[in-house]
Amino acid sequence: MKAIRNLSLGAGIAASLWATASFAQDPIRQIELLSRPQAAQPAEFQAIQLIAQEWRKLGLDVKVNVMPWSQMADAVWYNRDTWDVTAWQMTGRPERSDPDEIIFNLFHSSTAEKGYNFIGYNNPAYDKIVEEQRVTVDPEQRKALVIEAQEILAADQPNMMLVHPQQAFAFDKTVFDPTSVVDQSGIGIRSYWSWLNITPTGDQKDIIVNSSDNVIAVNPLYISGVTDNWLTELIYDRLFRVGADGLPQPWLAESFEWRDDTTIAVTLREGATFHDGQPVTAEDVVFSYEATTGGEAPMYAPFGSNVSGIAVEGDNTVVFTLGTQSASFLTSSLAKINIIPKHVWDPVLADLSTKDENAESHQEDMPIGSGAFKFVRWLPNEEIVLEANADHFNAPKAERFILRLVPNAEAALGMLRSGEINFLTDFQGDPQVLLDAAEQDGDLEVVSTVDIGFRYVAFNLRRPPFDDPAFRRALSAAVDRRLIVNAAFKKFAVASNSVVSPALEYWHAADVVDGFQAGTDVAKSILEEAGYGGVGDKLTYPEGVSETLAD
Amino acid sequence: MSKFKSFLIRTLQLALVLWAVVTILFLMFRLMPGNPLAAYIDPTFTAEQQEALIRQFGLDQPLWRQYFTYLANLLQGELGYSFRYRTPVADRIWLLLPNTLILTFSSLIVAYAFGILAGAWLAWRRGTRTEAAALPVVLATRAMPEFWLGMVLLAIFSFSLGWFPAGGTRSAGTSYDSLWALYTSSNFLSHLFLPMMTLAIYSQGLPLLLMRSNMLDVMKEDFITMAKIKGLSPFAVVIRHGARNALLPVMTSFAISVGYQLQGNVVVESVFSWPGLGRELVNAVAASDYPLAQGAFLMIAVVVIAMNLLADLLYSILDPRISHA
Repeated sequence: MKAIRNLSLGAGIAASLWATASFAQDPIRQIELLSRPQAAQPAEFQAIQLIAQEWRKLGLDVKVNVMPWSQMADAVWYNRDTWDVTAWQMTGRPERSDPDEIIFNLFHSSTAEKGYNFIGYNNPAYDKIVEEQRVTVDPEQRKALVIEAQEILAADQPNMMLVHPQQAFAFDKTVFDPTSVVDQSGIGIRSYWSWLNITPTGDQKDIIVNSSDNVIAVNPLYISGVTDNWLTELIYDRLFRVGADGLPQPWLAESFEWRDDTTIAVTLREGATFHDGQPVTAEDVVFSYEATTGGEAPMYAPFGSNVSGIAVEGDNTVVFTLGTQSASFLTSSLAKINIIPKHVWDPVLADLSTKDENAESHQEDMPIGSGAFKFVRWLPNEEIVLEANADHFNAPKAERFILRLVPNAEAALGMLRSGEINFLTDFQGDPQVLLDAAEQDGDLEVVSTVDIGFRYVAFNLRRPPFDDPAFRRALSAAVDRRLIVNAAFKKFAVASNSVVSPALEYWHAADVVDGFQAGTDVAKSILEEAGYGGVGDKLTYPEGVSETLAD
Repeated sequence: MSKFKSFLIRTLQLALVLWAVVTILFLMFRLMPGNPLAAYIDPTFTAEQQEALIRQFGLDQPLWRQYFTYLANLLQGELGYSFRYRTPVADRIWLLLPNTLILTFSSLIVAYAFGILAGAWLAWRRGTRTEAAALPVVLATRAMPEFWLGMVLLAIFSFSLGWFPAGGTRSAGTSYDSLWALYTSSNFLSHLFLPMMTLAIYSQGLPLLLMRSNMLDVMKEDFITMAKIKGLSPFAVVIRHGARNALLPVMTSFAISVGYQLQGNVVVESVFSWPGLGRELVNAVAASDYPLAQGAFLMIAVVVIAMNLLADLLYSILDPRISHA
């Protein structure tokens, strides 16, 4: 079914047959609002209930439909014409410290048909600005464009932004020196920098963390899951790293130089070795980048696809030529792609090229990288053990990094208190419970950080009435975000009106958030101004607009 | 009819049951609402990549073709590749099965040892206050949900008293040279204790009640009266003469219980972070990982069916009066 919005004045005979009650304004149909179940996503479920309640005050007939994620993804992502409104989320990841991935992929018209712009936002003025910021290398100029993009989104409200959650993590301060724990901007204390820097103060030298998700793979060419990424990040080095401040810094690279807008020369650190003792060479770097686009690692392909040429210069310099100018290249490619040993992967990839499977299904018994931790063993569904790589240029202070897989949130908290784990890196329960436990215990320190990720409500802009910006503005204004923060997220979130998190201080448009007016009265007046009828009672379209849902 | 022929017929019947299970499993997951690609939705993931995945998973094929491919593979002992792990399902199952079996059998042995003795004793104490007090307790343990019981045991013995660890099969970062060294270590046994007790408390009711009612029947038999008249001690009457005869149905119920216990594992393994097949099953279903979920279910079905067959065979061996003619 495809929704079309007609002017009944200009409609033909067939249409006027449909518009039987033409003496009145057309009523707005029942709106279906999708949420995931309370058991899986308590905050989202609660927020959606509150939103439905606020929208009903405007005279809108709202039906909340609860379904698990795999079903919701099917209803929204794979059937883009038939849904109305849905709760949705973006998770924070270090690579998203650059705003490009979010502001481009989520809203550019080119990704509307099959990509991440599943809401069907199409604004040529916006397209132009996000295309321009991509190729603007000067930070100040680019910042102005990123702010402008946020202002357009605030005016258009293609998404109703709710909050940036605050993730709470905890650790045992009798085991680790609390000053050695690093709170990475937008990511929190569960950060790469913590694992390198954490300093044990007593006999317990191991960092023991938990995850409720299973580890799917430890594979440098497969983006298999959030938890898996904690491991690959430690085992494999990258040319750059997103620093604790959110900005990219040279890592396996010692220095870099932009030779022109599309050419960057990267000089490698001397003396770096893989865990099997072999040196990390410029050929390994070239091999690693070619591996991402060679067809055997489809998930990494987008991060390497802008590299049109790559060459070794001298002993340890690699020169990248880009297809198009890219402001986010350091963060989205150089800080993303794992450097893998050619002597290990070359035969593997050669073998895979003759088979149906690709590198994503190749699980090494003993993954070899050059990172700060070495792989030791993996007990399926139980634990993964890494040990410190003393030869690394930034060797960790702790002896081992042990990831325990604990599906039960209450048990994870109990384990933190009993010492079975000493760093709570995943807590799916009520954050208040965590704070209470920390207060009772005395040995625990809880740190919560505003996330890069966000929760929002997505409108299907392909369907009336959501094709009208005024209608979307009204729905968005109807909900006071403080209500969502306090009641749904138990205060572990900050109100949002922009996809760029305040954690990314440099890029965040604070005025857009501060200037947001909310309340039932605000919403009603927007609707009345735009000509909607029955406000507060039974909402109807403006005069002359009828709702037609055609095949 | 010869013993061999009746055995053959039983086996054929079981093969038919297995085929039905396989078919239902196949359809169940594919008719379930939801999309197996949901796990891969990511802004960096292009539409072409998603289509490539659909092809790789074989989901672009019509349902009937997927079904016959699945059956053909199964007949060759091929369970397919997990969507999520991208590795063979069989490998995954073999890795996790030992942990599940150890939990299942240790808890059943505890449950049956306790249930048989307590059942016999309760039958002997027929009509006393002990019986009046004990029976409701037994019924209550049968009615308690396993996850709740598990959480209560965790709260008391792990979080409050600190006697037992809260999850896993061993403490963080410990390694053993062999499975045998692991399974006999105090580290492993202390981790096993709480999940095993949860399952054992849940399942002791069946053997206990079964034993008690069998005993009550047996105790009315002439040979018991005879034993009493001979002046044998109560112990000799109850255990040597009574219990041995009442035991038969209980022992066969053990085989069938293995199947029920595997169900219980699904919950208990999640509560105690036990790395077994049940927890994997939950993950696989949640992630729409059809091949893995089918494989895990199938494995459980095979165990249940095999145990039923074993129960049948045990019957005819232990009690020659029963035959399959």
